[in-house]
Amino acid sequence: MADAASGSTDKSVQVKLVLLGEAAVGKSSVVLRFVSNEFQPNKEPTIGAAFLTQKCRLEDRVLRYEIWDTAGQERFHSLAPMYYRNAQAAVVVYDVTKASSLEKAKSWVKELQRQANPNIVIALAGNKVDLVQSSGASSAGPASPESEDEADDATATPGETPGSSGTEPDSLRQVPKEEAQAYATEAGLLFFETSAKTGEGIVDIFTEIAKKIPLEHILAASRGASGRSGVGRASGTQQEAVNLQEDANKPKDACNC
Amino acid sequence: MSTISTALRNFKEPTKEQLTQIFFSLPTVPSDLSENASEQPEKMEINAVLSLGDGEEDSYAGKLHIMPPYLAFTSLDRKSVRFTIPLSTIRRVERLNARAGIYALSLLTWHGMKIIVQLTSLRPTADLFCSMLRDSLKVELQKGHMKLVKSFVKTCYSEELVSSSSNVADNEREDGSLISEEKENPVPRESTYHGGLGLKFKFPGDPKKLRESSKIKLWTTYLRTHGRNLTLMRYPQCTRLVQVGLPNRLRGEMWETLSGSIYLRFSNPGYYERLLKEHDGKTSISTEDIEKDLHRSLPEYAGYQSEDGIGALRRVLQAYSFKNPELGYCQAMNILAAAILIYMSEEQAFWLLEVLCDRLLPGYYAPSMHGTLLDQRVFESLVQRCLPIIHDHFQAVDVQLSVASLPWFLSLFINSMPMVFAFRIVDCFFCMGPKVLFQVGLAILKINGEALLQIQDDGGFLNLMRDYFANLGESAHPQSADPRARAITRFQELLLVSFREFSVITDETILSERKRFRSEIIHSIESFSKRAAVRNLKTLGRFTKEQAGLIYDALYKAMCIVPPPPTVAPPPTLLTTRDSGEEKPETRIGLRTFQYFLSEVATWARDEKIVMNGFQQRVDREVAEHEFIDRLFFFWDIACRGALSFQDLVSGLDGVMFNDLMENIEWFFNLHDKNKDGYLTKDEVLTLSESFLFIFRYEVGDAYLGAVSRFMTNAFEYGDALLPQPESKPGEERELLSPPPVASNQPYLNLATFRMVVLADEILESFFETDLSASFKLQPLPEMELPISSGGLLGDIWSTIATDSNKKMFNMFTDEIGKTIGKHQVVHKPSIGRYTKLEEPKARESLLTPAMRKSPSRTSLVSVSESTVAPTVSAASTSTLNVTIPTAESNKALPVVPDSAALSALPMIQAANAALMERTPFAIDDAKDDADDDDFFADDDDNDDDQVMDEVDAFLEAHDSGLTDADKKVANDLLHAEPVK
Ligand SMILES: Nc1nc2c(ncn2[C@@H]2O[C@H](COP(=O)(O)OP(=O)(O)OP(=O)(O)O)[C@@H](O)[C@H]2O)c(=O)[nH]1
Ligand SMILES: [Mg+2]
Repeated sequence: MADAASGSTDKSVQVKLVLLGEAAVGKSSVVLRFVSNEFQPNKEPTIGAAFLTQKCRLEDRVLRYEIWDTAGQERFHSLAPMYYRNAQAAVVVYDVTKASSLEKAKSWVKELQRQANPNIVIALAGNKVDLVQSSGASSAGPASPESEDEADDATATPGETPGSSGTEPDSLRQVPKEEAQAYATEAGLLFFETSAKTGEGIVDIFTEIAKKIPLEHILAASRGASGRSGVGRASGTQQEAVNLQEDANKPKDACNC
Repeated sequence: MSTISTALRNFKEPTKEQLTQIFFSLPTVPSDLSENASEQPEKMEINAVLSLGDGEEDSYAGKLHIMPPYLAFTSLDRKSVRFTIPLSTIRRVERLNARAGIYALSLLTWHGMKIIVQLTSLRPTADLFCSMLRDSLKVELQKGHMKLVKSFVKTCYSEELVSSSSNVADNEREDGSLISEEKENPVPRESTYHGGLGLKFKFPGDPKKLRESSKIKLWTTYLRTHGRNLTLMRYPQCTRLVQVGLPNRLRGEMWETLSGSIYLRFSNPGYYERLLKEHDGKTSISTEDIEKDLHRSLPEYAGYQSEDGIGALRRVLQAYSFKNPELGYCQAMNILAAAILIYMSEEQAFWLLEVLCDRLLPGYYAPSMHGTLLDQRVFESLVQRCLPIIHDHFQAVDVQLSVASLPWFLSLFINSMPMVFAFRIVDCFFCMGPKVLFQVGLAILKINGEALLQIQDDGGFLNLMRDYFANLGESAHPQSADPRARAITRFQELLLVSFREFSVITDETILSERKRFRSEIIHSIESFSKRAAVRNLKTLGRFTKEQAGLIYDALYKAMCIVPPPPTVAPPPTLLTTRDSGEEKPETRIGLRTFQYFLSEVATWARDEKIVMNGFQQRVDREVAEHEFIDRLFFFWDIACRGALSFQDLVSGLDGVMFNDLMENIEWFFNLHDKNKDGYLTKDEVLTLSESFLFIFRYEVGDAYLGAVSRFMTNAFEYGDALLPQPESKPGEERELLSPPPVASNQPYLNLATFRMVVLADEILESFFETDLSASFKLQPLPEMELPISSGGLLGDIWSTIATDSNKKMFNMFTDEIGKTIGKHQVVHKPSIGRYTKLEEPKARESLLTPAMRKSPSRTSLVSVSESTVAPTVSAASTSTLNVTIPTAESNKALPVVPDSAALSALPMIQAANAALMERTPFAIDDAKDDADDDDFFADDDDNDDDQVMDEVDAFLEAHDSGLTDADKKVANDLLHAEPVK
């Protein structure tokens, strides 16, 4: 509840981030993992867009992500500009078990690069890697305590067959990591494979984005627009700030902004 | 990879008759039962005064409509009283014996309810009405529809309620004749009524808190005296009972009754089951999308954690997508379907979904979601008018209203606020129509007005809304000293504000606002999809984005005029999983549309006649048809799909519009080399010549004709000369008809030879050098007329005059006069127009010395051609241009129109503003200040029934029966009148 950010300490920077990607690739799940470190096997499809916030501590400064999680179905596409306008960062999500979702992701990237804020930082996330890893192999991430079996039999994810541990799980993979990586490099995107279910790679996306974002720039801009009183009501969904250093157990250099 | 839809262009404003149908919730689709009647049944309306047989209610003046197979009534104010009943529920009609000059009928329904209507129009009109009523009833009887009623009402819970509680006999009425009749057959009642998942998995909310039993009691009383399901009479009490929340068990049926979907179910028995059976096992993009969302629809409700619920949801959504494949499935429909399935059976839900998508939320879920966008725009404009301070603040801090309001409208608040509250809004929505969404939306903003003025960005707005919705169950006035005021919840406050302060928002307001913004929305959707289509091209070729946009415009126009068949996804077997670029449905056009498209971009693909008749000069344009165009179509269809995509067109045009001389010659050669073996057969040489003749058909003078005949001569001469076969003698004869040395379908002429032949002729050379490429022209098209959407008188008149057929008539008329006065003149517009005089260049002496015949060097030929052709170019461009002006003129009268729509909306808005002036903006009403609120809650907290009644009273509005005291007396007398013998 005690929302330090709304007291607008000078170090807190607001970053507007938008999630885009085909329906059911796991955008909302990625956000939920990042914001509340949970996973719900059956999340309702997003209608229009959902809005969540999460603070991140990065070195000496606090970042406040304002996350716009959009609807994925094609026909909601024309609404997207409403949400990505003025966004400083975007996470474009695809599903590693569904080749077409990468195509959709590419077209989002293209649209963002032409239509959105020119300095936008874009990350590409290949979600649901847990489905293509042999069981128990996933090591990273703060695996949530809730039972994963329950998730398994309830998810409507195509191709997710119960008892997939016996079969060779990699056959589910339709997008090779190398292919996506190559595309991301070429298009100048950050790239991660993630699992909202296990937590793998989730925090990393947001950390790397935070590092890449020209924070000084934003700070200057928002100072210009003074009178921004902290009315963004502390809502119940706000968690304590994620400590990025801890979660992504890597030594962090000072951010390169 | 894009789909292009012209559906928005086909929108037509509803006619007055359709509006009446919509008002009475009548099915607009031809139902199974009435389809054989090819002639439209006659309709009629008449002034009438309605009274109910038991005299419990006031009488109301209004209009009685007969619209077979329905009879409908609305009071003059169009809101106090109304009904729509199928004629087949009427068992007897009697003329009542009354005072002189009074013409009254008594209608007896199947369950014995007596409806008395006094026909107050002139006598002949009343007679006519009666005879129509009699005839229509006869028709219903003959069709056997009367018999269907009894079995249908068994599916309705209300019947159960009315008859079973009369057994309970808690409070009988004295006039209980009809009720006791019912009591006589207490058949061992196995429950045959339809119900939803709630019967098995419980309904959301605490029944005690919802005061279910009191509500059921009130409804039972009401339904017993006012009809139910097919025969429900909607009096003010009905609306009020709905406003305090429908009881769970009755909710589903009341939804279908109030929305009118019950008439669809009634008139299409077995349709749902058949539809499912017919499409059993079929898959589509929609069914795939549905599958993804089945487990993501109200997942917290127990019913959807079981196969019962998931299966029902799947069937209902799929059935709808089969019924309306163009709409298919849109996310948010799963939420609605899941919600209504808690309260109703699959079949009921299917028809209700149909009414929702079709009539109540038109265009909301369409692929373009134009209805959603339109209503968001309408909502914004209403906010601007009704809550200008909030609107201005939102503008100032650049907050978009729709970030919050779009999901409200799209899923009827169901995933914005706790379900129990959302369902109460849905109750009102089905009862009072789509305006409820706007009223509630405005009320939400008004109630939160002060806080909204503090927000600084979209995020703050959404957070505020989320907090507000999360606390709807809290007291609206927690600080108040008055316990009754404290007891008012925020939700109750919301409804009161919605219906009291925003009652000025009527159906008419919404309709006229939609008209006002429709073309704006269509334009923005279209330009958005155009940008997306251009962006999604795999390659632009050498075109700029703007040029690709022009190609898109031509394609779009062609699709408007010759709509391509609906896109069908290729069978899944043809899809390789990796080739994901093709998985998306892509709009492709067939040959007919292509012909039209080409006529927009290529001068020779249209027949243009310049008509002068002394009154006007115009260009009549027709699409040309020729094998050459078909050939081009298949030439560009690289993937051999028999249809072309936007990309195909762009690439195809790219392949010809930027060519130089040599490339054009090769392009033309390849176009005619069907089997792509590098040789033309003799037949193909002939077809190629025909293509020339087609392209040149309107050129002035004989120059081109000469060129083509020289071409043929030369082609066969050199063709024969260069034949590989040794035995063919180098024939001297040059006639075309000389016996062919090779079969007409054998390889004959290769590219090199073709090139030589072409370059032997100055005219053909210049054709390939510049004219061919230049005959493709990408020009901005004049703005296409949208379907006229202004409501004003002027607009209506114009749109009736300016139809295409009227323009044609005008043209014909002036042509006739022109002919009489000898001024009628028709000139074909040439496609190339290089030679405007009859002078023609001399045939060039053959450039081809026999030495060159073997291998013409490309470079040498190029230099020759350049020097000869250059001077003529400018002539070509001037002569083609000057004719387009007259057509443009005839379209120009339009821009006057749109303003009149704004005018018609004004009175409503003024009324709305006037209503708001009386209150201080954003003040949250304290119950104590408002006299109406005083008896909002009864003092006795234990008495649930009274509480509900009080709540009901809170919704009391003044209802005007439209009758004088004398009128009322007459109506009252009729209640006791005897039938005429
Ligand atoms: N196994 C697995 N399932 C996941 C993962 N992320 C999401 N899902 C499941 O995929 C489904 C879709 O997830 P959502 O987060 O709702 O997807 P979305 O992209 O927000 O979908 P829309 O809102 O419709 O655009 C849900 O059933 C999730 O449980 C993941 O990392 N692993
Ligand atoms: Mg989502």
